[in-house]
Amino acid sequence: MIGQDYIGDRVREDIYPQGDEANRKIRRRRRAGKAWRWLFIVATVSAIVILSVLLIKILNDTVGLVAQESVLPERELLLAFDESQVLAAPNILLESEDDPAIASAIADEPNSLGFIPWSAYLTQQDRLNLVSIEGQLPGAEAAGTGDYPLDRPLYIYASTSELQKKPHVAAFLAYYLQHLDEVVPDAGYFMVDAEQLAEQSAQIAEGLGLEELPAINPADFEGVINITGSSTVFPITQAMADRFIADGFRGTINVDPTGTTAGFQKFCIDNDRSIDIVNASREVLPTEFSACQANNRRLSEAVVAQDALSVVVNKVNTFVTDVSREQLEALFTTAEQWSEVDGNWPGETISRFIPSADSGTMDFFVEELFQRESLEDLEYDDLVSIYTANISKGRCRAVEREQRFYDDVLICEDPEKFAEVCASDSPPTGCTLPPREEPGLIQLIEADVIKPKVLASWNGIESVLRRDEILAEAAQKYPNAEVFFKSWLSWQFITSPQSSYPEIAGIRTAILGTLWVVGIAILISFPLGVAAAVYLEEYADKRSRFNQIIQTNINNLAGVPSIIYGLLGLAVFVRALEPITSGYIFGAVESGATANGRTILSAGLTLGLLGLPVIIISAQEAIRAVPPSLRQASFGLGATKWETVRHHVLPNAIAGILTGVILSTSRIIGETAPLVVVGASTFITTDPTGPFSKFTTLPSQIYQWTARPQDTFRDIAAATIVVLITMLLLLNATAIYFRNRWSKRLG
Amino acid sequence: MTNSTTQHTNGNTDYAIEAKDLHIYYGNFRAVKDVDLQFRPRQITALIGPSGCGKSTVLRAFNRMNDLIPVARAEGEILFHGKNIYDEDVDPVEVRRRVGMVFQKPNPFPKSIYENVAWGARINGFKGNKAEMDALVEESLRDAAVWDEVKDKLDQSGLSLSGGQQQRLCIARTIAIRPEIILMDEPASALDPISTLRIEELIQELKKNYTILIVTHNMQQAARDSEFTAFFNMDEDRAGYLVEFDKTNELFTNPKNELTEQYITGRFG
Repeated sequence: MIGQDYIGDRVREDIYPQGDEANRKIRRRRRAGKAWRWLFIVATVSAIVILSVLLIKILNDTVGLVAQESVLPERELLLAFDESQVLAAPNILLESEDDPAIASAIADEPNSLGFIPWSAYLTQQDRLNLVSIEGQLPGAEAAGTGDYPLDRPLYIYASTSELQKKPHVAAFLAYYLQHLDEVVPDAGYFMVDAEQLAEQSAQIAEGLGLEELPAINPADFEGVINITGSSTVFPITQAMADRFIADGFRGTINVDPTGTTAGFQKFCIDNDRSIDIVNASREVLPTEFSACQANNRRLSEAVVAQDALSVVVNKVNTFVTDVSREQLEALFTTAEQWSEVDGNWPGETISRFIPSADSGTMDFFVEELFQRESLEDLEYDDLVSIYTANISKGRCRAVEREQRFYDDVLICEDPEKFAEVCASDSPPTGCTLPPREEPGLIQLIEADVIKPKVLASWNGIESVLRRDEILAEAAQKYPNAEVFFKSWLSWQFITSPQSSYPEIAGIRTAILGTLWVVGIAILISFPLGVAAAVYLEEYADKRSRFNQIIQTNINNLAGVPSIIYGLLGLAVFVRALEPITSGYIFGAVESGATANGRTILSAGLTLGLLGLPVIIISAQEAIRAVPPSLRQASFGLGATKWETVRHHVLPNAIAGILTGVILSTSRIIGETAPLVVVGASTFITTDPTGPFSKFTTLPSQIYQWTARPQDTFRDIAAATIVVLITMLLLLNATAIYFRNRWSKRLG
Repeated sequence: MTNSTTQHTNGNTDYAIEAKDLHIYYGNFRAVKDVDLQFRPRQITALIGPSGCGKSTVLRAFNRMNDLIPVARAEGEILFHGKNIYDEDVDPVEVRRRVGMVFQKPNPFPKSIYENVAWGARINGFKGNKAEMDALVEESLRDAAVWDEVKDKLDQSGLSLSGGQQQRLCIARTIAIRPEIILMDEPASALDPISTLRIEELIQELKKNYTILIVTHNMQQAARDSEFTAFFNMDEDRAGYLVEFDKTNELFTNPKNELTEQYITGRFG
C-alpha cells in the first residue's frame, strides 16, 4: 500500500476513499470489469462453437458410408460390351464350352489362334505353341504371383443354408477341399497356397457351424449331387467326384460343364433348386450374388486351384511368340490377317477358336484384355451402342428427339426419318441443339441403364466411429448393395446437371444459374449504386426536402424483407416487362404467346434492386469518409466538381465502396425467397445460355432438395451448401484482393 | 457605409485584388460585415484577429472557396483586375486557378509527390509535353524549397513526407499552377518551430513573385513577415469586421484604434 500524505492531521484529498477502503473499491471496480470480460469471452466462444457445429453438421452430411445397388453395374455393362467386341471378331471358327475341343481344333489348323485354360493346353502341348504376353509365359512358377497377366484363381460356390440341409453335399465339399492336392496337379492346374486353403476351410466350417471340417468317409453318405458351371473347373470337380464315388459314396454325382455365367444363371437367377454346387472360373458378379441372396441362397466361396489362361497358336506358327497388350487386343478383335498386327508376320487370315460367351474364361479374358475401369474408357460410338442396346425403343426415340446422338442421322428410328423429323414444321429440340457429347451420354447411361440407387447413407462421423457396426448392419439389411465411403461433393457432382435421382444429380445448372444471376445483379447494382451515392453525397442539396425523403427511403429499403423485392420483381420484371425480360423484343423467343418473363434477367434485376440500398449506403459512407481537406485542396487548385470526384473522391472511397459490394454480393448470392417468387425453375437440366434462359440457383436448389423426404437428398443439399459457401468465399476473396490492390496503389 | 479605420494608401489601379463593401453570410447569420481591403502586388499582408472574427472567412472569399459551403453567400465586390469575381459571368474555377490557396493543415493528395504537383497543372490544361511537365514539377518544388529533400523519391506518396515537407509540397503544388495571388490560412500553425521557420523563409522568397495574403494567430510572425497587417474583430452581433488596416510597422508601433492596441499587447484575444 502506498503511504498517505497529510495536511496537518488530515489526509489530503479526503473527499476520495483512502487506504484500504480505496483498494477495496478498486478491486470491486476491477471485478465488475472482469465479469464483463468473461461475458465477452463466453459470447465469442459460443458464437464460434455454434458456427463450427453448423459447419461440421454440413460437412458431416456431405461425406459418409452409403449402401448402393445398381440395376446393371457398370462392370457388367463393360464386360458385356467387351465380350461382344471379341465375339464380333472376323473368322471365328469355333466357339465352345469344351476347352480340350478348342485345344485340338487349334492344333489342327495352321493359322489358328485361341485362348484356353492351362489344363486344356496340357492335353495338346506337343502340337501347340504358347504365346508370351509382354515377355511373361504362364507356368507353375508364375502361378499365383500375378506376374503373368492372365493368371487366375478357379472357384466353387455353394449355398451355406442348403449345405446344412444336405449333409452329403457338405461332405463332398469338405472332401473336395481336403483332397485337392491329389487331384489338381493331375487335372493340369496349379495348387492353391496352403495358407489360403486352410483359411477357406475354416470359413466353410464356420458356415456349417463347425470348428473345423471333419475327416469324411464317403461311405457314410448317400444322395444325388448336381454340379454345373465352368468347363475349366470341370476336370477337377469330375476327378474329385470320381474319387468320392470310388471311396464309397452311395449316390450319383452329375457334373455338367455349361460355363460359369450359365451356371450362375441357373443357380442364382433361375433359382434351380436341383443344383448344389457351381464351378466358376471367375468371381461371382454383384448382380448374380444379389440374385442368389434374393432367393435365399447365401453363397460361400472357395478357391480350388490356380489356372493360367494360355494364349496359344499352332505348332507350325513360329512367328507369334510374344505380344504386347495392344497386339493381343488387335489379334482377338479387329485383325483379319497376321500382318495387320505386325508387319513382319505373314498376310494369312487368322482362324480364331475361343470359349463361348457363357464361360467364365471369356469373362476373365476380356476383363484382363481391355482392363477398362469405367465407361469413360470407351469411345463415344461404343457408348451410344451400349446405351441404345440397353433401353427400350420408345425411350431411345424420346431421348434422341431431345438431343441427337449424331449430327446427320437418327439411330433410334428409321434412318430415312432424319429429314422427315428435323425438316417438319415444328422440329423437336433435338434438331436444333448440337449432338450429345461423351460426359452427357455417360450420365444418360448411368441414369437409364446402370441406375445406381443409394438404399441408405450414413453421416461422416458415424461412418468413421461405427464403421464395423454399419458394415454389419448394411450386410444384413442390404445384402445386395455395395457399401462404400462416398463424398457427395465430388467433381462429378459439380459438373453434372440436375437429376431426379440423387445418386447422379449434380449442380452445374445451379452454379451457372447463380453466376449468371449474381453477375447481372452486380452489373446493375454496382454502377447504379455508386452513381446514386455520388449524386447524394457530392451533388445533391442536403437541405432539400426531396433529397432528404430519398435518403430516408434508401435507408429503409435496405431493411425491407427480401420477399417484398420478389413480389416487386414478379409484378414489374416478370409480368409488366415480360416482352423485355423474356427476350421477345430481342427476338430470343419466337412468339409473344410463349414469352415467359421467368428468366435470369428478371431474377438478376430483382436481386440487383435488392442489393442496391446496401451498395448506396456503404458507398455514401465511403465517400463521406474522404477527408474534406482533400476536396478543398482539389478545388483550391482550380479543379471542377467532376475532376475532384473522379480523381480524389472515388479513388479514395473505392475500398469502402467495394466493401459494400462484397456485403451486397454475399446477401444476393444466398437469397432464396425472392427467386422463389420470381420463378426459379424447380427442375431444370439444361444449362442457362444467356439472360433469357430459365434458371435455378444454388440456394433454390438447396431449398428444394431439403424439402424432399429422402435422406440422400439431404446429403446432396449439404454438398451444395459447401459449394455455395466456397463460391461465396471465392467471390469475396477476389473482391478483397482488388480492394487491397487498389487501396495500396492509392496509399 | 463608414470605413473610418481603413487606410487608403494608394490608387485603385495599383492593387492586385481588393474587397469592397464585402459582407459574408452563413444562411441568415452575417459572419463578416463591411470589409474594404486593398492588397498591393508582391506584398505580404497579414490578417490577424481573435478566434471567430472572420479573418479566414474573408481570406476564403478571395478565391470563392466559401462557395463550397452550401449556405454561404457573399455580398459586395471583390475586384480582381477590375472585375468582380462574384459576377455571374465569372467561373470560380478560373478564379481559383489564378488565386491559389494553402491550407492550415498540410493536405497533399494521396498520390505520388510528382503527381501532387503535376495534377493541378494537368487539369488546368498545361500545354507542355512530358519533359516540360518534369521541368515544371522540378521548378515548383525548387521554388517551394523542398526539391532537395524529395528529388530522389518523386514516385513516393506525398503522405510519406514530414509535416513541414508536406506543407512545402502543398505550396509547390499551388505555385505550379502559376497563380497571381496566394492565400495562406495559418500555413504554419500545425508545424513545429523549425518547420515554421522554413515556411516563413519560403514566404519571404515567394513574395518576389506573388501577392500573399496570410491569416495568422502568431503576432510575431505577422510583425516579422508582412508589409501590411489587417486587424479584424468580432462585433456584439458576432459579425466580424475590419478594425484597422495599415503598414505592419505602423499598426504594431502606433495603432490608431484602441482595440488594436489592446489586441497586439495581448490584453484580449
